Amino acid sequence: MADGSLTPARSVMKTPQAWINWLSKYGIFLLLVVLVVALSIITPLVRGEQYFLTPRNLTQVMLQGSINGIIALGMTFIITSGGIDLSVGSIVALAGVIAASVMALGSGPWIGLLAAVATGMLCGLFNGFLITRIKLQPFIATLGTMGIFRGLTLILSDGRPIYGFDSAFVDIFSQRVFGEIPLPVIVVALLAVICWLVLAKTRFGKYVIAIGSSEESVMRAGISIRRYKLGIYTFGGVLTGISAALLTARLSSADPTSGTMFELDAIAATVMGGTSLSGGEGTIAGTIVGALIISIIRNALNILNIPSFWQQFVIGAVIIVAVALDQVRRRYAQRVG
Amino acid sequence: MRSPLCEDIGSMVRQDDRAVILEIDNVTKAFGAVQALQSISFNVYKGEIVALVGDNGAGKSTLIKIIAGVHTPTSGTLRVRGALCDFKTPADALQVGIETVYQDLALIDPLDVADNVYLGREVLKKSWLGRVFGVLDRTQMRRATGEALSQLHIKIPAPTMPVSRMSGGQRQAVAIGRAVTWGRQLILLDEPTAALGVEETEQVLLTIEKLRDEYGMTFIVISHNMQNVHRIADRIIVLRQGKHAATLDKYATTPEEIVAYITGAKAQTYESHKDG
Ligand SMILES: Nc1ncnc2c1ncn2[C@@H]1O[C@H](COP(=O)(O)OP(=O)(O)OP(=O)(O)O)[C@@H](O)[C@H]1O
Ligand SMILES: [Mg+2]
Repeated sequence: MADGSLTPARSVMKTPQAWINWLSKYGIFLLLVVLVVALSIITPLVRGEQYFLTPRNLTQVMLQGSINGIIALGMTFIITSGGIDLSVGSIVALAGVIAASVMALGSGPWIGLLAAVATGMLCGLFNGFLITRIKLQPFIATLGTMGIFRGLTLILSDGRPIYGFDSAFVDIFSQRVFGEIPLPVIVVALLAVICWLVLAKTRFGKYVIAIGSSEESVMRAGISIRRYKLGIYTFGGVLTGISAALLTARLSSADPTSGTMFELDAIAATVMGGTSLSGGEGTIAGTIVGALIISIIRNALNILNIPSFWQQFVIGAVIIVAVALDQVRRRYAQRVG
Repeated sequence: MRSPLCEDIGSMVRQDDRAVILEIDNVTKAFGAVQALQSISFNVYKGEIVALVGDNGAGKSTLIKIIAGVHTPTSGTLRVRGALCDFKTPADALQVGIETVYQDLALIDPLDVADNVYLGREVLKKSWLGRVFGVLDRTQMRRATGEALSQLHIKIPAPTMPVSRMSGGQRQAVAIGRAVTWGRQLILLDEPTAALGVEETEQVLLTIEKLRDEYGMTFIVISHNMQNVHRIADRIIVLRQGKHAATLDKYATTPEEIVAYITGAKAQTYESHKDG
């Protein structure tokens, strides 16, 4: 401690640990800027025309990132609390199929939205139940429900996509507001602000961080871990349900095989943003930028005509690099502090 | 919400100044085949510091955790102010006014001082936002924490600094500050000075003595340092291999004698150390 305070300010950034701290905090924003600048230069060189840096394409990037962004917001709470949810992709499919079915039977768009959100909520509640009552590891519980929810989706839909519901549902969510901004982008922005407020300003958010930091200490402070964990997974389920509604509207149908590998993108956005897989640290802004970067990577690979098979490869690698960096940072923090 | 933990404590407060705070009667604790505690009985009176000493594995932390509601005893009873208590969780003991500073401090590293002191006792904004969404009134909690800690002469750096960035002594101070802020009946300290330097240890001892002398607070303190034990404790309870080996009066004993009881070089008969 004494050493640190005596170090002259100008040499602060000279230690590798200071660099790593700075990078882990702001590196994600730097990466976003670098990516945008690089792609704006590379795209015209490769394709002979600026396909990347156009209002139309950037809007598309945000729209495509919004589905993952909303799921990743919930994932941020779950990972900050020291957990994980591998079932989000299956929840997207189940909530989408149930919402589409309800609407295909004649319900209006708002009932459809409600059905998606309620399905997501119940799925999250079930995950929370397995984790808090049956005391399963979140990894195992949600690995199991990933199969259960997917299976249920296929059973309910008989493996076939569901079409033929009220087009009002599609129209509502494909609206453009403030000129050219698609409604889903506004929704994700609003939800991000709400999530930031919840994490930073409320008792619930404080307990999410505390549980991720030390469950034992939280229990000794007389707080019901069970109740809050149940709340955390349910909250994640609600957000995933909202995301499922947006996806169903965008595709004008609900496919029982949709949402596959969505957990990969959501976890990637979260850990890339700076939320620690070991719990106790979470950042909503980081997660949103992380989701944006993943969307940009997918978009860029498309624009540059790189086979789509590379997308999974790159995003998987992103997770590994992000977690490895986080661990290096922790090791340095331990050595110094 | 919760069934009554204890009989009504208020009605049972005795008027004499030797009011009993805690009565431990025949408490036994087994972890499977390990007999961690065997028929422990003693009382703790208001305004005294009781030291709990013994070798590693003697059962000190286990006893503290039973009083704190972390473990339930295999048999035996606890009474707080005469009221029979059956703690199922730490929340139960906290509610009765028993606070604990655990050996590992039980702080939440990424949170700041006030967030730690108010963990589980958050003050919410008075507006509807606070009530409906549980919005924290951090301004209020930071102010109150700052005042409470400075009253205790506990010095901490910036109130907004996460406790992970504090020194061992500062973290210890935060944990003690939390305990004395909320401990209405009894404060349990498990090795409060083990990780501290000479000066920081002195500060903690002074704080504990001051709280006893000026506010009549009651403590059970675990320590391995016999000089410190002999200095601050009014009575010393020695555990040896899970059994109650001796109860010693500060003025009738020496650090050397305490050590003799800890190692088993000396032994009291059961009757002679049993409380009144
Ligand atoms: N949760 C547990 N499960 C099983 N055995 C335990 C548990 N907690 C304590 N024990 C055992 O009970 C005995 C007493 O342990 P305890 O921690 O109370 O000792 P202690 O007096 O606090 O020692 P130290 O001075 O090292 O802190 C030891 O034999 C220990 O191994
Ligand atoms: Mg111990």
